[in-house]
Amino acid sequence: MAPMRRESDTDHPEWFQKKRKSRPLIVARWVPIALVGLPVATLLAIVIYPTVWMFYHSLRDTNIQGLFMGTHSHIGFSNYADVLGSERFQDSLLHLAQYLTFGACLQVIIGTVLALTLYEFVKSNAIRTVVLIMLVIPMMLPPSIVGVLWRFLLTPSNGAVNQALLNLGLIEQHIEWFNAGISLWSIIIADSWNWVALPLLIVYSGRVSLPPAVYEAARVDGASQWKVMRRITLPMLKEVIAIAFILRFTDAFKFVDLVYIMTSGGPAQSSELPTYIAFQRGIREFAVGEAAAYAIIIFIISAVIITLFLKYMKGVMRARGFA
Amino acid sequence: MSGVSLQKVNKIYGSGADSVHAVQDLDLEVSDGEFVALLGPSGCGKTSTLRMIVGLESITSGQILFGDRDISHLDPQDRNVAMAFETYALYPNFTVADNLSFPLEVLGLPAELQRKKTDEIAELLRITDILQAYPPELSGGQQQRVSLGRALIREPSVFILDEVMSHLDAHLKFSMLFDLKRLHRELRRTMIYVTHDQVEALALADRVAVMSNARMQQVGDRNTLYNRPANVFVADFIGEPPTNFFRAEVAYHDHDTIISVMDSDLTLQPGTAAATSLRESQRKEVIAGIRPQNLGFAETAHFLTADVEISEYLGERSMLTVVNGTTRFQAIAPPDLRVNPGTSVRLYYEPLNVMLFDPETETLIA
Repeated sequence: MAPMRRESDTDHPEWFQKKRKSRPLIVARWVPIALVGLPVATLLAIVIYPTVWMFYHSLRDTNIQGLFMGTHSHIGFSNYADVLGSERFQDSLLHLAQYLTFGACLQVIIGTVLALTLYEFVKSNAIRTVVLIMLVIPMMLPPSIVGVLWRFLLTPSNGAVNQALLNLGLIEQHIEWFNAGISLWSIIIADSWNWVALPLLIVYSGRVSLPPAVYEAARVDGASQWKVMRRITLPMLKEVIAIAFILRFTDAFKFVDLVYIMTSGGPAQSSELPTYIAFQRGIREFAVGEAAAYAIIIFIISAVIITLFLKYMKGVMRARGFA
Repeated sequence: MSGVSLQKVNKIYGSGADSVHAVQDLDLEVSDGEFVALLGPSGCGKTSTLRMIVGLESITSGQILFGDRDISHLDPQDRNVAMAFETYALYPNFTVADNLSFPLEVLGLPAELQRKKTDEIAELLRITDILQAYPPELSGGQQQRVSLGRALIREPSVFILDEVMSHLDAHLKFSMLFDLKRLHRELRRTMIYVTHDQVEALALADRVAVMSNARMQQVGDRNTLYNRPANVFVADFIGEPPTNFFRAEVAYHDHDTIISVMDSDLTLQPGTAAATSLRESQRKEVIAGIRPQNLGFAETAHFLTADVEISEYLGERSMLTVVNGTTRFQAIAPPDLRVNPGTSVRLYYEPLNVMLFDPETETLIA
């Protein structure tokens, strides 16, 4: 039998023609505009407008009164000069560096070690699940509860942590967890307890998805477990670990809650992070202009670092032929 | 280098009611430098067998020897065995050169020697131009070559290939078949090649081991498997299109032994040797088999008469599906043959080509 052939491309079957006619063209005209327009409007309202507004006020001497009365005047970049020149801000950058190195980095490292240990050494699925759930529980608590909890645990005179360390004979007298120089460490400890499961989950799921045949090949090749870990597993998980780090890193820039609850930046501003100062100056002390300058500076610092990171990721992806 | 010997090897996965007996009492002898293909349908236990030889899977019972050495319970790296994987299993974060030299790096060879051997093996497999590329950038055929190279570089005593061509297109497969054959001829290593594709197995291997239902069915070269299949399964599995089987009754006359196919008026004349052995055993029923290739139009003394049902033109040949009574069977015909459905045809055969199997055990009688 000869195959059926249409006369031309426009010769569609009847049902198709009918369907086409029943849908008026006017629908096609405003639907796309609405579909694109609504998100764009939302974006304008909640991101673009506030950012522009913030940048505008970072150049003015706005305070709470001026904000409502409309009496604020242009002062150029002197807000920025004030912020960058202040010892308080410079100290807070050091605190941020400390928090990033010992908080975010350690969380990613510990999370990775825990994840890979769990995967390599615990072979029973049931035990794995139980351990994972236990490790994830802290992440499900609200930050305010975590802060209050750790303030209790770290109370110098009769807190559980000091008592435990004393009983174990590791220390001879109470550690003053909320003194200057130590309070930021206390925050880092609480935050790590709170968030270590995030890199753990990310790295664990990354490890689960690595192809088993590659590991069998390595076994047949005779590579030791340590060699496999160092030469195959960790390099293959590089991006995954980098993503875990980036998530903790972005959190570090907006990290206010635990600082506020545990130490309020104290004592003597010794545990303040840049974002906390911005929050303090803007929301508590109503120095809107200066707080805006803080926010813009933090934004620029994080944007630069994220851009560098993305560039690195792109390089890695290209080298592997993924992009 | 050494041969491989499997003795009463068993593999049982799980325990109790859920256990699966994946490999049952498997015996296999592969001599030094031989190329043996392990052939069978999916789920027949061939991959389990191979994983036990490599050491990726433990042995429930039995013994595996490399040469005289019992390696049944050694780790893969202590067996001096190498394997090329179905999915290639290249290290994605290494360049091709690093992939090739990794087994040497593990052995702790000096960098200079590693590079020299890498270059040699790349030369052998014709992948010198992609040494600096990463696996995800390569085509399937290139990845498979790299995976072969990585397995070969260590000069293992036993070399295992697991369905290495199942992801290659037909054209590449053909050239890889040629390359593998060449490699084996040049290296003379003991190779075990696992596949579900009989064309690959028959083209490559010195001998083919056919597995089904966790058991070894038959080991032999192409002619043995084709002309003297040990049982109905092998006769059916080897050869394309598959063998025609008939349930038949045997009648003994003074000088003649006649096999009449049930549900039809077909009769088959067995070969002299088969007739003698039938006569000795006086059996009443058999399964008779004859390959479609052995039914043709060149006139001989014996023929089957049947009506053409379907005639398929397949390029270099035609395939006829014919029917007699309710019995359907197939025959290969020349490509220029034109027969209309319904035509009655005579299909000639040689009695020698009639295979007879026991209806109970399905093993070859004669």
